[in-house]
Amino acid sequence: MNSVTAALIRDTFREALARRVFWGLFALSTLMILFILFLLRIDIVEGAVSTVGIFGTSLSRRIWNPERLVNHAHAAVAAFLYTFGMLLALFASATLVPSMLEPGRIELLLSKPLSRPQLILGRYVGNLLVIAANITWLFAGVWVILGWKTHVWHTGFLYAILTTIAAYAVLLAVIVLVAVVWESAALATMIPVALVIMSPILAQRDTMEKLLSSDLSRLIWNVFYYVLPKIYEIGWITRRFTFGQPIQDWMPLWSSAAFGAATLMAGIWIFARRDF
Amino acid sequence: MSSDIAIRTRGLTKVFRSRFGRREVRAVDGISLDVPRGTTFGLLGPNGAGKTTFVKLLLSAVHPSSGSAAIFGRDSRNRNARRPVGYLPENHRFPTYLNGAGMLDFYAALSGMPARDRAGRVAELLDLVDLGRWAGVRLRKYSKGMLQRLGLAQALMHRPALLILDEPTDGVDPVGRALIREILADLERRGVTIFLNSHLLGEVELFCRQVAIIHHGRLALTGSVKDLTTGKGYCVTAMKVPPAIHDRLRGESTHDTVSSFRFNTREEVNQAIDALRSAGAEIESVAPSTSTLEEVFLRTVQAGSRE
Repeated sequence: MNSVTAALIRDTFREALARRVFWGLFALSTLMILFILFLLRIDIVEGAVSTVGIFGTSLSRRIWNPERLVNHAHAAVAAFLYTFGMLLALFASATLVPSMLEPGRIELLLSKPLSRPQLILGRYVGNLLVIAANITWLFAGVWVILGWKTHVWHTGFLYAILTTIAAYAVLLAVIVLVAVVWESAALATMIPVALVIMSPILAQRDTMEKLLSSDLSRLIWNVFYYVLPKIYEIGWITRRFTFGQPIQDWMPLWSSAAFGAATLMAGIWIFARRDF
Repeated sequence: MSSDIAIRTRGLTKVFRSRFGRREVRAVDGISLDVPRGTTFGLLGPNGAGKTTFVKLLLSAVHPSSGSAAIFGRDSRNRNARRPVGYLPENHRFPTYLNGAGMLDFYAALSGMPARDRAGRVAELLDLVDLGRWAGVRLRKYSKGMLQRLGLAQALMHRPALLILDEPTDGVDPVGRALIREILADLERRGVTIFLNSHLLGEVELFCRQVAIIHHGRLALTGSVKDLTTGKGYCVTAMKVPPAIHDRLRGESTHDTVSSFRFNTREEVNQAIDALRSAGAEIESVAPSTSTLEEVFLRTVQAGSRE
């Protein structure tokens, strides 16, 4: 990485810090970690979990196998963090790309001897790293505490870090494209959130095949399904990782990555040709 | 960077079209201009004449519809052409989360300045623009004039050979203006080419050696300030001029006791001086008649509007 790209990434971090984006996410992540550290009680007696409690109240009197308990805890935490963490990250960071394009700021950046793709990619990578740092802190923190409490160290949970960052990277590409075309922070937030909301609906393909009456509507549904990012199904892949189960279908991941790459390239292409 | 021409444009044109191409505005219309290396050049024009679009075309913030622009002989679309350029935009919006020193460091890094050179240069330039004490203060606390001075320091960080300044004294108090003029004069002595886009005609006249006037996106006039403001003929001022001779020589009274006369030739001047002296008038001054840059500007713009 050259010094210009490093400067762009550093600047994105500074803006995220100043806008409380980083600290806001960090504080929420830390709260979650502290919650698991202090309020979730897990007693292990002779290799089995005898008590699981929250706020001092026992949740279950069942004797749990610690590994099973940790698997379920990991899956629940991963599902929660994947969906709500993703939405939180989108709300928090969607302004970072449009802010760079503000009149009076972009002209000065463009007057510097750097290419436009380098400029927008520097911002993209900086933004991604801000969120990746928080996601890593959150997932790794939860993993360490659950491991410390149960003495079970399943590495599958850590793959959730990669899948969550990958899903965010795809949505960030959408933010870049929307920001470059419309320069609107509101739209740059709304459209990726809409994609997250649409994702579980589009995933009901088998049901819709039966419900939709015409071939054309089924075709349209399938086009949307295959083209748009499959955030919901990446969530399921994350869950299978946490349970240590094999992944049977990687299509949601690679097709979403392809969508993200194409969207990012479109954003860069438009940015390179726009007048400011 | 071997070219003796700092900026060269040939038929540079920018047409802005509405989204569906129904309306178009020719913001810059076929401008061909040469700015020699080492000069101080003022770009003038009424509001909406196309000055800022012209500057943005030079810096590739706006893409030309046709024509070309080169900086020190390099096509301005090549990013390396912008390496020797320092730029202060009009209506800039510097990131307010940065402090003065951080802002200079960031933009210098983008200009390709190595980290080892930046720290010393930051302190040097903050002192130069009299903001040394504000180095660690966030920009949101800076006044407009302070931001303008900091913006100038930002443009100077990487020791550019060409400085493009868009309204550099906008919002700056008289003391700050004098400081900016002093800095620019020093840069001129060091051979830096200064391209000034300003609507303050007095400032341009005071500082620039050459000017260009743009009107309706076209180049209406270009030349040296000296040539453009030197009028044809001479001006004689005299005191205690008797009314009869005042009227005969078609004088203008600038004061109760002072009259001024304009003549086209040296011969007419000598004849008039003889007549005035013999009538008992006292000659105050004899000088080639001049126009202010403002008069030249207004004449050019009004002529352009009539066409």
